[in-house]
Amino acid sequence: MKRITTILMTGLLLGLVVSGCSKSKQGQKRFVVAFSQCNNAEPYRAAQNQLMQKLFNEKGDVQLVIADAQQDNSKQIAQIETFIRQKPDLLIVAPNERAPLTQIMGRAIAAGIPVICLERDITEPNYTTFVGADNLAIGRMAGELIVDELTKRKGKAQGKIVEMRGLLGVEAEMERYKGAHDVLKSHPDIKVVHEAVADWLQSNARERMNEILRSQPEIDVVYAHNDPMAIGAYLAARELGRDENTIFIGVDGLGGPAGGLKKVQDGVLTGTFYYPLCVDKAVEVGYRMLTEPGFKPEKKYVLEPKLVTAQNAAEMYEKFTF
Amino acid sequence: MDAARRWAGTSQLRSKLQSVIGLAVILGVALIFSPSNSDGLVFLDSGNITDILRQVSEIGILSLAMTFVILTGGIDLSVGSTLALASSIVAILVTRPWFAASELWSISVAVLVAVLATTVVGLANGLVVARWSIQPFIVTLASMIGIRGLARWLTNNSNIDIGFGTDLAATFAKALSTKTVVIGSYVALAIVFGILLTRTVFGRRVRAVGDNEKAAQYAGLPIRRIKVLVYVMSGMLAGYAGVLHAAQNHQGSPNAGVTYELEAIAAVVIGGTSLLGGRGSITGTIIGTMIVGVLTNILRLNNVDSNLEMMLKAVIIVGAVWLQQRGKD
Repeated sequence: MKRITTILMTGLLLGLVVSGCSKSKQGQKRFVVAFSQCNNAEPYRAAQNQLMQKLFNEKGDVQLVIADAQQDNSKQIAQIETFIRQKPDLLIVAPNERAPLTQIMGRAIAAGIPVICLERDITEPNYTTFVGADNLAIGRMAGELIVDELTKRKGKAQGKIVEMRGLLGVEAEMERYKGAHDVLKSHPDIKVVHEAVADWLQSNARERMNEILRSQPEIDVVYAHNDPMAIGAYLAARELGRDENTIFIGVDGLGGPAGGLKKVQDGVLTGTFYYPLCVDKAVEVGYRMLTEPGFKPEKKYVLEPKLVTAQNAAEMYEKFTF
Repeated sequence: MDAARRWAGTSQLRSKLQSVIGLAVILGVALIFSPSNSDGLVFLDSGNITDILRQVSEIGILSLAMTFVILTGGIDLSVGSTLALASSIVAILVTRPWFAASELWSISVAVLVAVLATTVVGLANGLVVARWSIQPFIVTLASMIGIRGLARWLTNNSNIDIGFGTDLAATFAKALSTKTVVIGSYVALAIVFGILLTRTVFGRRVRAVGDNEKAAQYAGLPIRRIKVLVYVMSGMLAGYAGVLHAAQNHQGSPNAGVTYELEAIAAVVIGGTSLLGGRGSITGTIIGTMIVGVLTNILRLNNVDSNLEMMLKAVIIVGAVWLQQRGKD
C-alpha cells in the first residue's frame, strides 16, 4: 500500500513537472512583456489572455509572461513588485481595482518600465498609456435597447424587467447598472420588478431566476450584466416554457462557442454588447513602444462598445473567435 | 458501558429532535412570509418545492459523504474544486466526438470517466491522510488548491459550453438536468448513505474511529482503510455532483463550486454532526441541508438583499450549533 502511494505521488509530480516544462519552453526572444492579469477565472479575462498570447506570438520576437492575481489586490501588487525586479521591456496591467493598484504602478513607472494600463483606469495616471472601454456607455446602450425592444413589441415603452447583477461593488457592475437606470428613469412605465445578484455566474443566475419566475408571473426583459448570467436566466425560463416571450439581454459579446456572440446567433439572447477586449489595441500600441524609439503613445485610448443583434452576430463571431 | 451508550443514544435523539424543530420553525417562517399569487402561496407551489429540492441537491450530495468524513474526525475541503474538475471533464468529453459509439454509451463513459477521476482524487486524499498522518484539513486544503488548478489547466481557463443543439452534449444536458434525475439522485444517494451509516458494520466503524481512535485501534479496527474509504466516497460523490452541475448549467466550468465545501460542511454542522467526530447522522445532515435551502428560497422569493441573506445564514449556523451544545449538557 505504501509503495503504491509513493508511486502514485511520484507519477503525479513527474507528470506535472514534465507538462510544465513543455509549456514554458521558449526560444530566445528580443522582448519580454509581462502581463499582470487581475483574474484568469473570468471568461472575459481568459479571452484577453488568449488573444494577447496569440497576437504576441504572431510578432515572433516577444516572450509574454502572464501572472494571475486571482481577483486579489495584494496578490497583484506582489506580482507587479516581482515584475519590477525582473525589469521586463513592457509591463501591461489589468488592475483588479483602481485605488489599491495605483501606487505600485507608479513604482513601475519610476523604475523606468513602460506601463500599459488595460481596461480599468486607476486613480492617478501612473501609466504610459491607458487602453480601455466604457461600461457606462454599455449600460446606457442596454437601457436604450430595452426601450426599443419593448416599444417594438408592445407599441409603447412599457414592461417588466428583471436585472441580473454581477458581483456587487465591482466597477463594471456599478456602471452597467447605472447606465441602464439612467435611461430607464425617463420611462415610468418600464419597471424593474426584481434585481438579483448572481456574481457573474451562469449557475447562480439559473438558480436566482428559478425563484424570480415563481414570484413574478410576468417578465418581459431580463437584463444581465454579462452573457453567462443571461444564459443562466434563459435556462431557468426555458424549463418552464417561459423563454419564448422574454427578451434576454447580456453584455460582453465574447467569441467562441461559450460566448455571447454565438448565443445571439442561436437566438438565445436578443442582444448583447461587445465589450472590447482592449488587447488588440494594447498589443498594437505596446509593440510600437517596443520597436519604434521615437513613438509616443497617446495618454488614453478609449474603445467603443458595440451592440450585437441577430443582424451582425455572425459577422462579429467570425471576427472575435480565435 | 451500557449507560454510556444509552446516554449517547438519548443525546443523539435530542439533537435530532432539535434539528427537526429547527426545520419546522423555518418552514413556519416560510409559510408566513411566502408571497402569494392567484394559486395561493408561492412557497407551497409544487414547482417551488421541487425547485428547492433540486437547488439543494448538489450541496446535499456533497454533504452526505462529508458527514462520513466528519464522523471520522476528518474534513474534506477539496469537494468544491473536485466538483469543478468533474464538471470540466464530463463537458470536455461530451463536446468532443472522441469515439464513435451510441449516445448512451458515450454519455455513460463520459460520466464514468469524470467520476472515476474524482474518485482517484478522493483516494489520494485518503491515502495521504491515513498513511502519512497529515491532518485532513491540510491535505484537503492542498488538494482544494491543486485540483482547482488542474481543472483550470485542463480547460485552459475557459468554460466548456454545452450549447443548445441536438448533438451529444445537448442530449447529455437534457438527460441529466431534469428534476427527476437530479432530485432522484439525491434521494437515492441519501437512502444508500443513510443505510450505510446506520445499518452496516462499516457505518458503526466510521463512528467508532471518530469517537475514540485509540479505542478503535485497540479493538483492532482497520482504521486506515476506513479513513481512506470515506475520502474515496467523498471524491466519488463530488464527481457525481459535478456531472449534474455541468448538465444543469449547460457548461463545464473550472470555476464552479467555489465555497461549496463550506456550504456542505455548514449543512452537516447545522444537522447536528460534531466536527470532533463520532457523533452525527445522515438524517441530521439532510435536515441541515433543507433548513438552508428553505431559508434561501423564502428570502429570495421576497427579493431580500443578498447581503442580509448572508448575515442571516451566519446567525442560523451559530444558533443551530449553540442549541445542540445546550442539548448535550
